[in-house]
Amino acid sequence: MTKFNPIRIIAFGVLLAAVALAGCSQKEPAGMLRVGLSEEPRTLNIWLASDANSRKILSKIYQPLYQHDPETLELIPWLAADLPEYDPETVAYTVRLRGARWSDGAELTSSDVAFTAKLIKEFRIPRHYSRWKFVTRIETPDKRTVRFFLKNPKAIFRSRSLTIPIVQQKEWEDIVRIARTKEKPLAELLNHQVESPVGTGPFVLKQWREGAYLHMVRNPYFFGTGKTIAGRQLGPHITDIVVKIFGTSDVAILALKKGTIDMFWWGIQPGYLDDLRNQDDIHVYFSEKSALYFMGFNLRKPPSDDPHLRRAIATLIDKNFIISRILQGFGTEMYSIIPPGNRYWYYPEVEKYGAKLDRESRIRKAYDILTEAGYSWEAPPIDDAGAVIPASGIRLPNGQPMERFTILTPPADYDPHRAISGLMIQEWLRDVGMPAYSRPMAFSSLLQQVKGRHDFDTFILGCGKLSTDPDYLRIFFLSANDKPRGWNMSGYRNPEFDKLATESSQAMDREERQALVRKMQEIVLRDVPYYPIYDPLLIEAVRTDRFTGWVEMLEGIGNIWSFTQLKPISRDS
Amino acid sequence: MMGRFVGAWRLFRENLIGRIGLTLLIVFALMAVCSFIPPLIDPMYQPMHGVDPEISHSTGPSMKHWLGTDFIGRDIFSQLLAGARIAFMVGISAAFMSIFLGTLIGMIAGYAGKTVDMALMRLADMIMVMPTLLVVLILSSLFGQLHIWTIVLIIALFRWPGVSRVIRAQTLSLKQRPFIEAAKVAGASHVRIIFRHITPNVLPLALLYMTFRVTSAIIIEAALAFLGFGDPGTVSWGMMLQWVWKTGHMFQAPYWLLPPGICISLLTLSFYMLGRAMEEILDPRLRQEGASD
Amino acid sequence: MELRKYIFRRLIEIAIIFFVILTVLFLLFRLAPGDPVTRMVDPNMTPEDAEHLIEQLGLDQPIGLQYLYYVKNFVTGNFGVSFHYGQPVADIILNRLPNTVLLFTTSIILSALFGIFLGKIAAWRKGESTDTWMTIGALICHTVFLPWLALILIWLFAYKVGWFPLTGMISAEVWIDPEAGFLEKAWDIVHHMILPLGTLFMIHFGSYLLIMRSSMLDTLKEDYILTARAKGLEEKTIRNHHAAPNAALPVVTSVGLSLAFSINGGALTETVFTWPGIGRELVFSVSNNDYPLAQASFLLIAAVVLLANLVVDVLYAYLDPRIRYE
Repeated sequence: MTKFNPIRIIAFGVLLAAVALAGCSQKEPAGMLRVGLSEEPRTLNIWLASDANSRKILSKIYQPLYQHDPETLELIPWLAADLPEYDPETVAYTVRLRGARWSDGAELTSSDVAFTAKLIKEFRIPRHYSRWKFVTRIETPDKRTVRFFLKNPKAIFRSRSLTIPIVQQKEWEDIVRIARTKEKPLAELLNHQVESPVGTGPFVLKQWREGAYLHMVRNPYFFGTGKTIAGRQLGPHITDIVVKIFGTSDVAILALKKGTIDMFWWGIQPGYLDDLRNQDDIHVYFSEKSALYFMGFNLRKPPSDDPHLRRAIATLIDKNFIISRILQGFGTEMYSIIPPGNRYWYYPEVEKYGAKLDRESRIRKAYDILTEAGYSWEAPPIDDAGAVIPASGIRLPNGQPMERFTILTPPADYDPHRAISGLMIQEWLRDVGMPAYSRPMAFSSLLQQVKGRHDFDTFILGCGKLSTDPDYLRIFFLSANDKPRGWNMSGYRNPEFDKLATESSQAMDREERQALVRKMQEIVLRDVPYYPIYDPLLIEAVRTDRFTGWVEMLEGIGNIWSFTQLKPISRDS
Repeated sequence: MMGRFVGAWRLFRENLIGRIGLTLLIVFALMAVCSFIPPLIDPMYQPMHGVDPEISHSTGPSMKHWLGTDFIGRDIFSQLLAGARIAFMVGISAAFMSIFLGTLIGMIAGYAGKTVDMALMRLADMIMVMPTLLVVLILSSLFGQLHIWTIVLIIALFRWPGVSRVIRAQTLSLKQRPFIEAAKVAGASHVRIIFRHITPNVLPLALLYMTFRVTSAIIIEAALAFLGFGDPGTVSWGMMLQWVWKTGHMFQAPYWLLPPGICISLLTLSFYMLGRAMEEILDPRLRQEGASD
Repeated sequence: MELRKYIFRRLIEIAIIFFVILTVLFLLFRLAPGDPVTRMVDPNMTPEDAEHLIEQLGLDQPIGLQYLYYVKNFVTGNFGVSFHYGQPVADIILNRLPNTVLLFTTSIILSALFGIFLGKIAAWRKGESTDTWMTIGALICHTVFLPWLALILIWLFAYKVGWFPLTGMISAEVWIDPEAGFLEKAWDIVHHMILPLGTLFMIHFGSYLLIMRSSMLDTLKEDYILTARAKGLEEKTIRNHHAAPNAALPVVTSVGLSLAFSINGGALTETVFTWPGIGRELVFSVSNNDYPLAQASFLLIAAVVLLANLVVDVLYAYLDPRIRYE
């Protein structure tokens, strides 16, 4: 111990630092795109991959039959050669395949497609099964043709079922055979370790060093190379993608500014904007999200079972405050369950409670609604002279005092916006004397409370990735889905709505379905089981000095079109 | 008794570290007291809900907002003052509870001996190997966002073993002293012996440990809030750091990032310095474990 | 013989404590509301899907049975499969453990060595301004708010000055380069390690310095130091060869005793620096309801702390012949 001399260690440290400075000038190949990710992808097993990060990686490897056009969001044949043909007689869809190859060089055939669909059905893969269980039979007349027979007409089949990723029969056959023999076949399949996924996409995985990075390289067999699809000439022109894991956004932003990554593949907080806008080599993209952030009410118990109270609460919520302050202006006020960006299905004429009112007018209007419905106060929010005053002791129409009214929100670490919105809403409800308490809860406890036990007054949640197909409107409010773990979290039961919803899911005519979906929106906003609040904008930042050609699309620039069209900027000039 | 106190105070005044610690502590105590003032001036200075009607994004220091505003237009200075109050509340109450528990358990274990001692000390061992922060993290992530008092209670429940070990050792040595024997012979009950004869003797030591526990409680609460597991209805310094971090102002708003961090560090430092100074004055033999956390 | 008996007894004690922790942990995780399936907020996830998945993950069994499986698996070294990654927990832990060990032990050893060295000097110069400033410096290092400090260090040294990489453990550019040799790769890790190491070092070294200083002051009052002085030995020899080795013992103990506390700091440091270690994985798995992984990481940490305490006690007794095993 006494022989130890720290001076030597300090000297050694200085030496190291000197070498560090010298070793900093590492240069990367021109075609290598470096992407920052905020968390490690969960898995490379496509069936387990329910998280955003795994899907980001796997969506460059496994491809669907159809993609969405970045501008019109129309269905674009991808692995398929053209749009599916529907035969109303047999309730069957026929899909013809384009000649594509797997990354091991083998040809993609109709049996791969049939295999994928059968695998989903047989193992009842969560999240996929509901879209395929109504398919009764699959035929493969030849190598390039698949025919799907449906139990009954389904509006969602084209846009929801035919857009799932296709896997290779050769890669999965043995795994499936082994899993089938096990006691827990699904668990076995989900826990299968995929080392190098075989896909048809523009990139293949070369290496994944856990906790550090993923390295993907161009797939030489990618079918799209040189082709023009949806009016876009596809590459890819990138040779490698290196995905680096950053734990926090701040550091990833610093990395972007410093130039050690070319893109940060994650929505960033508005707080970074001023700084990023001042950087020469950084461009910020704003993309619409197909998202719904809403307040949900429990219709199973008082006091939130009263539509008048729900309307009064809706009137009190100042969406403008939430968007301009909490979201810093990067979001849109939502009035219907379907986001306004989804223009075809969105219905703008729904009831807009308290839109554009100031705080006092809101309190007055809510007061009117509540008084009319028979609510009374010990100290009402409006005094005899008509001035707004602090209220307390609200009583329900039956004379009972209102009990503690809880607003559940996700915790601040999960989403600071919703947690802070909850606190603000609590204050607004207190303006009319409601004993409101905002309570952030761990995310899974919150869901358990709301979805599993149905034990709550109201909650604020968000659906981050709504599909462009409005089928979720049906799923969220169908009486049949009012059960533990069911998606009708509010417990909304309305036979009129159920009828429309069922009709809409079977309406094969697009315009007919549009009319039904509009009517459904009107009903929902009349009864307010959910009150929509906002749809945030997705803010993403990229460097502009090495690559060009990002494609803007709903849900951001990290789409397949960007990755097949990005071009390196020649740096010799 | 009085003379001893005056003597100790004189020693304390000569101690530079103690003087620095006490000065800092007084400053923070003043901050905590002053935290009630801003909301009285204008409701926009209410630290949690008050927003400046004209400002809807983070701005730098100005006459109206001495340390600027946060991202929705709340006043950072009044948040900082309110944070001082929370820090004192968390630190002192958690420390007090853990010291109370630790002292009680330590005395009982030391006095009762045998099986009771064995059981209590094994329990202490078990709790001692638990990293408190990670435990609170697990609990708060499992059982939903915890209320600030629940957090205080959990911290207290996991921070007593260190104290109880020392108090137990002290009690063991006290037990051999003649005056305890005398009390026993005189027919005093166990409870009476513990509270009348042992407690006064271990109290200075317990108080000393309290200053160190305050430090660790404040740090744990701050770290928890920083990671996003704090009580979101409370304006604590850790919460402020969480806001600046999660809203992406970390490296752009030094007027927002620096004050809470500096305050946490200095407040813990002041308690620690005070503890060190007290330690040197009370008895140099008492230190042993205190410095390790 | 005495030593062996003592170790044996302690090991049994540790096993019992470990078992209790294991049970408490199991109960905590199972009693908490929510399960990994609840977290999946995807309108495509139907209640039937959820029930099916729960059944497949074995979460539908009675809690007693689950507990029996859990204990049986633990005894046989099967830690289960992570809900989140779908990989065996043992694989994940084995993958992350070396990273933590590397960062953590290096920081502890370095800070203990520095703490002992500087604490010795501070004690030797008690009352002088060197001592005062060292003590104040150590106190500041020890009480500074760690995650905040870490972020400021990143901003300052990795971004503004640009000496070090921002976060992580390796840079992809070096590791995918087929020409990069062992030295380059090793250097890459060291380069990434400097900042997190520095952070942990600062936090620990302060307390070691303070302990060493106090213990050295005590030692200097011992009889054998007076004897050495009386023999006319050089002051420096007395300090370095007689006092310091004995005074360093409490530092060794405190390394063991404060290990649980240091692990808190380690987890925070790993989280902020995205260091792919056990601490970060634990924080992450906890917020993901990944019970198997969270349980195993926590138990691993508990086991390490328990064993470290034993090692410290034995070592202490070995180094200080005055101590006897009770």
